[in-house]
Amino acid sequence: MDTNGMPQSPAGDWRSYERMLLPPIQDLHELNVYEEHGGYDRLRRVLEDDEFAPGDVTDAVKASGLTGRGGAGFPTGIKWTFMPEPDDRPRFIGVNADESEPGTFKDRQVMEYNPHLMLEGILLAGYALHIDTAYVYIRGEYTDWIVHLKKQLQKAYEAGYVGEDIMGSGFTMDIVLHKGAGAYICGEETSLMESLEGKRGYPRYKPPFPAQSGIFGSPTTINNAETLAHVPLIVEQGGEAYSNIGAGDMPGPALYGMSGHVKKPGVYEFPTGMPLTDLIHDVCGGMARDKAMKAFVPGGSSTPPIRAENIDGLTMNDESLGEVGSRTGTFCPLVLDEETDMVSFLRRVAHFYQDETCGQCTPCREGTSWLEKILARIDEGEGRMRDIDLLLELCDNMDGGRTICAFADGAVGPVRATVKRFRDEFAAKCQASVHPVSTDVSAGAESAVAATE
Amino acid sequence: MPIVTVDGTTYEYEGEQKLLQFCLNQGIELPHFCYHPAMSIPANCRQCLVKVGMPKEDRESGEVVRDDEGEPEIQYFPQLQASCTVDLRDGMVVKTHRTSEEVDQAQTDNLEFLLTNHPLDCPICDQAGHCPLQIQSYKYGPEGSRFEFRKVHKPKRVKLGPRVTLDAERCINCTRCTRFTDEVSESNQLTIANRGVKNHPITAPGETFDDPYSMNTIDICPVGALTSADFRFKARIWEMSSTPSITTTNATGANCHYWVRDNQVLRITPRQNMDVNEYWLPDEDRLVYNKFNDNRPPGPHIRRDDARTQSNWEQVYARAASLLGSADPERILFLGSAYATVEDNYLLTQLAEAVGADAPRYLPHVEPGAGDDWLITDDKTPNAAGCERLGIRPVDEELVGSQIKGDEYDLLYVLEDDPVSAGLCTADDLADTDVVLHYYNTTNETLSRATAALPAAMVVETVGTYVNQDGRAQRVRPAKEIQGVNRTLMMEMGTNREDEHGTPFDRWHNDENRINCKPSWEMLPKIAQRYGTDMDYPKGPEQIMDEVQSTMAAFEGATYDAMGLKGVPLEDVEAGEAV
Repeated sequence: MDTNGMPQSPAGDWRSYERMLLPPIQDLHELNVYEEHGGYDRLRRVLEDDEFAPGDVTDAVKASGLTGRGGAGFPTGIKWTFMPEPDDRPRFIGVNADESEPGTFKDRQVMEYNPHLMLEGILLAGYALHIDTAYVYIRGEYTDWIVHLKKQLQKAYEAGYVGEDIMGSGFTMDIVLHKGAGAYICGEETSLMESLEGKRGYPRYKPPFPAQSGIFGSPTTINNAETLAHVPLIVEQGGEAYSNIGAGDMPGPALYGMSGHVKKPGVYEFPTGMPLTDLIHDVCGGMARDKAMKAFVPGGSSTPPIRAENIDGLTMNDESLGEVGSRTGTFCPLVLDEETDMVSFLRRVAHFYQDETCGQCTPCREGTSWLEKILARIDEGEGRMRDIDLLLELCDNMDGGRTICAFADGAVGPVRATVKRFRDEFAAKCQASVHPVSTDVSAGAESAVAATE
Repeated sequence: MPIVTVDGTTYEYEGEQKLLQFCLNQGIELPHFCYHPAMSIPANCRQCLVKVGMPKEDRESGEVVRDDEGEPEIQYFPQLQASCTVDLRDGMVVKTHRTSEEVDQAQTDNLEFLLTNHPLDCPICDQAGHCPLQIQSYKYGPEGSRFEFRKVHKPKRVKLGPRVTLDAERCINCTRCTRFTDEVSESNQLTIANRGVKNHPITAPGETFDDPYSMNTIDICPVGALTSADFRFKARIWEMSSTPSITTTNATGANCHYWVRDNQVLRITPRQNMDVNEYWLPDEDRLVYNKFNDNRPPGPHIRRDDARTQSNWEQVYARAASLLGSADPERILFLGSAYATVEDNYLLTQLAEAVGADAPRYLPHVEPGAGDDWLITDDKTPNAAGCERLGIRPVDEELVGSQIKGDEYDLLYVLEDDPVSAGLCTADDLADTDVVLHYYNTTNETLSRATAALPAAMVVETVGTYVNQDGRAQRVRPAKEIQGVNRTLMMEMGTNREDEHGTPFDRWHNDENRINCKPSWEMLPKIAQRYGTDMDYPKGPEQIMDEVQSTMAAFEGATYDAMGLKGVPLEDVEAGEAV
């Protein structure tokens, strides 16, 4: 193993890693190609082998330590155990393919290049949790992928992998594709359920949790599309073996959707726990235009950016990123170079959140728009020094349980981190503003109060 | 019994309850906007935040951990909780803004957010004065605003439907209105459009908000976003007096408030009575307020030689009494009224008896298919059940109609009704018949044939009892003044208006807009005395009703005290049965 003398990362010898989620096989999305490469064998094994009870699938997923790949990183196996024992109510699995976090584009690669792996994962999950209906909620803008997935699902139905009495086992499951209508908030699990039910995509308060009362008031598990594509791999390798891949706190392969100022952006599959520097320099071929890096946003716009000078030694897992106050999110890093204006960057991010907030809870509805207005003012050179502290104070007033869902936390995370970590840039813009004020106005806690200008 | 501690005071509770409703029931005020007890809980305004804790339990033994003094150690949830969604649990400890600075600050912060895009046009807003946002901002809000930007602009003066007008800028998106149409009226006509700060309620394109209960959304709107197309900009809340009463549009007997300024009824709003109309009032009950103000009679009059002449009360009483005295009792028809109170109908029954005529009958006003099994009924009168209980039966319209046409009656005595417009007979049929008419409005079509016309007080001017279709006896109170002196009415005015004497802006003691009419319970004894029979109730309707309830089993227990503000359910017994 060539580690170049560097300490070994959780990703281990990632250079010789063999892809599992998106293996390099021509036309793998076609059912016959997928079958040739062992497709649906795992499902067959589970269904035919009497030794493999539904609970064993859940146990394997638990043992694997798989964490959700939708951004929150909640352990999938544990989530599955929240499902109550089967009763006379219907049960559902919601597959969250409403991928719309800015900078995130990895689920659609699964849907495009290996859709049957995801479908097989859904079926395995359905078997494990005694569920006979899965709703795949796909982002409305993914028109091509919806058409594509629909075609492949049809083929799976025709081949008897989905539908009545799958492979003669008596297990029946339907998979329904549902097109979203273009709202980021519908990727939030409770809001996804509301939207599926034909209502406005407003998140529900919890409890009751989806496992108790989810889609149409029935027990429901919501999993990210990529997360479910991991399940056949776990069944194949066994939970134990899977848990040895990548970082211990969130094991398994991961799809890294690299974007921003790198030479070769794109989706790359490697184990979790990749060193950030390796990702940028070795995987993506270094910084675009060979500029110096300024910031690294690890996984979607709602994860706090990390200053470039802090990324050495960091790896793509929550334990490591937690040390610098960030998290992996969706594993889709955004790299920003030295020419990036962080105020401008943050303004754009804030604009996204003010546009996408559902408007249900007061702090989020009003707060996101207020944040954007302040950031726009600073960005346009009309900011006041007190605006900087006001930004931070508004962040405190919006998150931490003040709202129903985690949208507000996602919206203030980048604002708080960016303002704190790049305060010099914000201060510089405010000082250069057309309303020059003394810097000591921004000194204390009282500075956000309207000063005498 | 399980207990919950709020701000250091321990309360017992029963069953499953939500914390916010429990606190409100205990008289512990918590600010809130979106929560409404009759609808689902969206928890979206985030105003009712409180700090909630539970006794700490030892993980292994499961026992409650106690401190040195033996008190249970409380473990608080790290995040504030919206109290409307919190289920009470035994041992729960709650800190509101009264004991927790964190909660107090969070509520202030939330109000600051709410007000950032709210127009603050209170000086011209109909809701000002009874606006939950205004009141709670004064109580819990920040002193000023740090919001230094242009507020968001949204549609204003949107006619959602014929009766409701929207000002979307004032909306705080509590979704009470959309939940009302989804869950209560089930018309599903309103939805929220757009996202974030731009969202507001609206109908689907091309759809009109013509829900027969649409105006309830105005009442439950916690700001002035939804206003009455009819009432907006007419009067300020503090210029009007409100009187608790009931509506008389149909047989539901929905509880309401009559809002009066300068002796004119300006609007009618629902009054909560969980046994009758809960929180709601149909639009048709509200839009009738004009009949109390318009086309009211100038005073009593008498017809002589086909010419109506303005008269005075003494003359008209004497005329009515002489008509009764000169007619053959068998050729007199007494018509009671399902619009009139129990007291008035009861006196008419007594008068008929004294005269020796047949017992009065009443004219039913039923529109089959008009009702909706909720608050709108087929029966368009408020007191048909009261008449039935008094032993007054509906007229056989065909038979009586032909009898009138055949001049089989010399005298028709009509109490607060209109047989001509009801189709019982035509005005020409009455050419050779004398008519004594107690009436409300000059639009009464029988009026042209009335020999003696006596303007009667309407529900907003009188005291009396109505029995709704479910047999619930409810009393009404005067909301506006009439001309003349009537001690009973004056006492009732002084004690039953919620502001007791009217607001400084409400010149109810002025003669302007006071109608020259009298309640029938004042007129009938006067006529009876002149006729020569002894009918005297110096204490007015209260005394009459007391007599009714003590002699007739169908009304047993319906004293004024018992009826109070919410009414009493009456026993289902045969009419005419004695106590």
